Amino acid sequence: MTEPTPADMNVTPPKKSVLRNLSFVWVIPFLALAVSLGIAWQSFADRGTLIEISFENASGVVAGETTLRYREVVVGTVEDVGFSSDLGRVIVSVRVDNDVAPFIDAEALFWVVRPEVSARGISGLSTVLSGVYIEGAWDNEPAAEARDFIGMSSPPLTQPGRPGKRITLATDDGTTISNGSPVLFRGVEVGRLETPRLSADGRTVMVDAFIDAPHDARLTQATRFWDTSGFKLSFGTSGFAVDFDSLASLVTGGVQFDNLYDDGDPLPPGYVFNLYEEEEDARRNTLVRGPAQGVPFSIQFSESVNGLEAGDDVTYQGLEVGVVTELRSRVIESQFGPELSLLVNVSIDPQRMGLEAGTTPEETVDFFRFAVDSGMRARLATESLLSSDLRIELVVLDDVAPARLREDDNDLPRLPSVESNLSDFTATAEGVLERINALPIEEVMQRAISLMDSVEALARNEDLQRMPGSAVALLDDTRAIVGSEAIQSIPAQLDAAVTDLTDLVAEVREGGAVASLNSALARLDEAMVGINEASRQAPALTQNLTKLTEEEIPAVLAELQGVAETAQTLELEGLVGSATQTLNRIDALIAQDAVQGIPDAVSAAIDDVREVVADVRAEGAVQTLGSSLRNLDRAMADISTATQDAPAVTRNLRQITETDIPDLLAEIDAVATKAQELELQALVDSATGTLNRVDALVGSDETLDLPGTLNDALTEMRLALAELRAGGVVENLNATLQSASDAAGSVAQSVEDLPQLTARLERLVAETETVITSYGERSDFSTQTLSALREVQSAAKAISNLAREIERSPNSLIFGR
Amino acid sequence: MSGDGMANVERAQPVLTARAAGLVGCAECGHVYPRGTPQCDLCGTPLVSRDKASLQKVWAWLLAGMVVYIPANVYPMLRTSTLGKTQESTIVGGVFDLIDHGSIGVALIVFVASVVIPIGKFIAIAYLALRVKSGKPGTSVHLHLYELVEFIGRWSMIDVFVVAILSALVQLNFVATINPGIAAVSFALSVAFTMISANSFDPRLIWDAPPEGAPV
Repeated sequence: MTEPTPADMNVTPPKKSVLRNLSFVWVIPFLALAVSLGIAWQSFADRGTLIEISFENASGVVAGETTLRYREVVVGTVEDVGFSSDLGRVIVSVRVDNDVAPFIDAEALFWVVRPEVSARGISGLSTVLSGVYIEGAWDNEPAAEARDFIGMSSPPLTQPGRPGKRITLATDDGTTISNGSPVLFRGVEVGRLETPRLSADGRTVMVDAFIDAPHDARLTQATRFWDTSGFKLSFGTSGFAVDFDSLASLVTGGVQFDNLYDDGDPLPPGYVFNLYEEEEDARRNTLVRGPAQGVPFSIQFSESVNGLEAGDDVTYQGLEVGVVTELRSRVIESQFGPELSLLVNVSIDPQRMGLEAGTTPEETVDFFRFAVDSGMRARLATESLLSSDLRIELVVLDDVAPARLREDDNDLPRLPSVESNLSDFTATAEGVLERINALPIEEVMQRAISLMDSVEALARNEDLQRMPGSAVALLDDTRAIVGSEAIQSIPAQLDAAVTDLTDLVAEVREGGAVASLNSALARLDEAMVGINEASRQAPALTQNLTKLTEEEIPAVLAELQGVAETAQTLELEGLVGSATQTLNRIDALIAQDAVQGIPDAVSAAIDDVREVVADVRAEGAVQTLGSSLRNLDRAMADISTATQDAPAVTRNLRQITETDIPDLLAEIDAVATKAQELELQALVDSATGTLNRVDALVGSDETLDLPGTLNDALTEMRLALAELRAGGVVENLNATLQSASDAAGSVAQSVEDLPQLTARLERLVAETETVITSYGERSDFSTQTLSALREVQSAAKAISNLAREIERSPNSLIFGR
Repeated sequence: MSGDGMANVERAQPVLTARAAGLVGCAECGHVYPRGTPQCDLCGTPLVSRDKASLQKVWAWLLAGMVVYIPANVYPMLRTSTLGKTQESTIVGGVFDLIDHGSIGVALIVFVASVVIPIGKFIAIAYLALRVKSGKPGTSVHLHLYELVEFIGRWSMIDVFVVAILSALVQLNFVATINPGIAAVSFALSVAFTMISANSFDPRLIWDAPPEGAPV
């Protein structure tokens, strides 16, 4: 140990520089400072970009807690929740991560995710515990950043950047469409609907839809959309069918689409699809129809639009070009004060009018302006003969009062209208008449004649008189029917109808018809003069006839008696039995309730007829009748001319009776003798067979059903009459009467041929004379008579045929064929 | 650590320091060696009579501790996620939360351990360093202050321990998750730096009075 010495004074005289003295440890605080600053800078840099999203309300959004997520990954946090300057909206400030911020462009969408239960399922369940969060959606392309956004109230149907196509549908009725309803293609969900909205004019409902790729490639102009909401019940031959597309679409409404044909044209930008209510509608409309493409017009009608309703067609030369969208009445100021007029709104598809696709509404209006200038008018037309449904047809008329397309800023362009002439109804009525014309009346008549001949032959038989027993019963039943209240009331109704007719006639008298009738009567007078002259020849004729009856006829009668005696011996019992049976069946038929009900139906029909007559009276039918009468007058004039030839005819007749008939009677006498020898048994057998068949026919069930059918037919007729009356047919009847008048004119023309006919008749009589003279040769006439009897036989066969035919198709009794 | 028997010396009297006696004491074990001895025979500690760089080190570490104390208070200490909700709390924010919840006692402890003590340490160390720098001879109060600073420094780590333990234990995924924030690291660093700063202080400097008329 050294001796302690005072401490060496540190005598380093000049102090070293501060830097030299610095310890290495000073690095530490600077390092700390650097690190701290680094952290501060980093956290500042990492703070992210502040964006502001405005919402209707900030329900559940908490500053500092609520996160912003993208594809369920947190990319930001709400920093602040405030209000817009007018407190109108809530402004949520969100700090977004810097690596995401460049992608958030103006297209970005933000919405608050909350727990939601809908028909599509439950979503946002995690937010029940964690609280809501804000979901953002943007595409994958960095773009110009935006800072202010408007938040959506509900999740968007499609997120930006999702492949697919956004389209717009238009419909009349948005009740079955709801947000998120599926869009189906052959039952597979390929897209979704957004919330429906009203168009600017409020007439249609527009709804956006998004079709996912690759199904959006199917969309062409041939694509049709229809509503599959709800379900459909149908009955058919295959039974009872319930049809609905999917349970989800049942609840939320759904839309299905399909292409009508392949390779449709691609969609132009801004194309709006029409949403049809039914698949049938959608498929039927090869061309687009409906509010989507339609250009609205209005039409003013001065006549009744009863029978026209929204949805009826607008046609142009038979082609459907539009649809009636609305009927409304409107007060229009005219020079006579306010007038109520009927306005019909229609929607016309320019493409169906032949305009090019993509024609703007303005161009369409231009087109119609030109068309109206060149005579296009709207008018009402009936859909069919008996229906009162109307449609609107656009017609181009040559001779119409000039009119213009009325354009008003406040209203739709208005097409001028003309009175409907309902020509189609007339045409149809003519068609009906033609059909009646074409009926084989001739044939029926011939048959009837031969039938009557046969019947006559039968009636000559005395034994037929034994039949009345059955007939009496039949009459009893008939009397019961006649005595029924319904029948009793018919006269009263008829009376009323007659009263109506009387009134009608009174009106006729007032009209010009009486004058025509008068002149017609004058002509008739002339005709009577001719007839008078003819009758002057009559005494001589009578003389001849008397001689005939006194001398010749008794002998003939004696012979005929012989014939009758022969006939008596024939086996007619069977025939009469059959006839009796037939009568019994007819009796039973008449006793049926259905037959009893006929009077009621008839009575009701008469009521309807009365009403129709009343309608007729109300309309201008009387004038038409006047013209008909004028035609009749002309016809009478011709008849009058014809009668002037009558004396000549009479003269000829006289000559015949004087000379020829006595001979003829002698011959007939001989013939009768001969006829006695004929075997009539075969004839009677044939007739009996015929009656049996008739019997079977009457007894058949089908015939028994006839009254019921008849009743139904009457009821239907009543309904038809009622419909006729309701459907304003009387106006149409006018036109028909016009046609009838024309027909009468034709009749008049044909009557002009009557004089010629008379002349021919005269010639015919002359020929008859010659013929009768020729009867002098006895053998010839007998042969003829025998062949006549043979013809009777074949007539019986004809009846038999007819009976068989009726048996086969009893309807023919009703329809006359 | 350097609580040697000299602490009981009255300040009024001039003190004979080891240095004045030509000795050098071991800072670790207190054994005294003659001046010039390079290292302690007992514990091998290098022997210096006065650490000339001591004050520089003190200031440097103190500054570092103060610098990192700023983020420790600005940034969140804990990130608590409960059922999807994430909450970040700073030290002072946590204190206020605790007060809001009525746990004033716990709030007090946290406040004292995390705010009062670190700041107190900064002030105390700075005061001692300035005092030494000014050259006035120290008294026992200063030594006690120094001892207090050295003793209490480690307790500031209580916050860090709490964070560390919570982070390790509470990892229940969605239900509850606690993660340390940047502040936890900063705070730990701050505590560590101030402890090193306090450790770097050579308490023997307290006794050194500058020779008369000469600045240090």
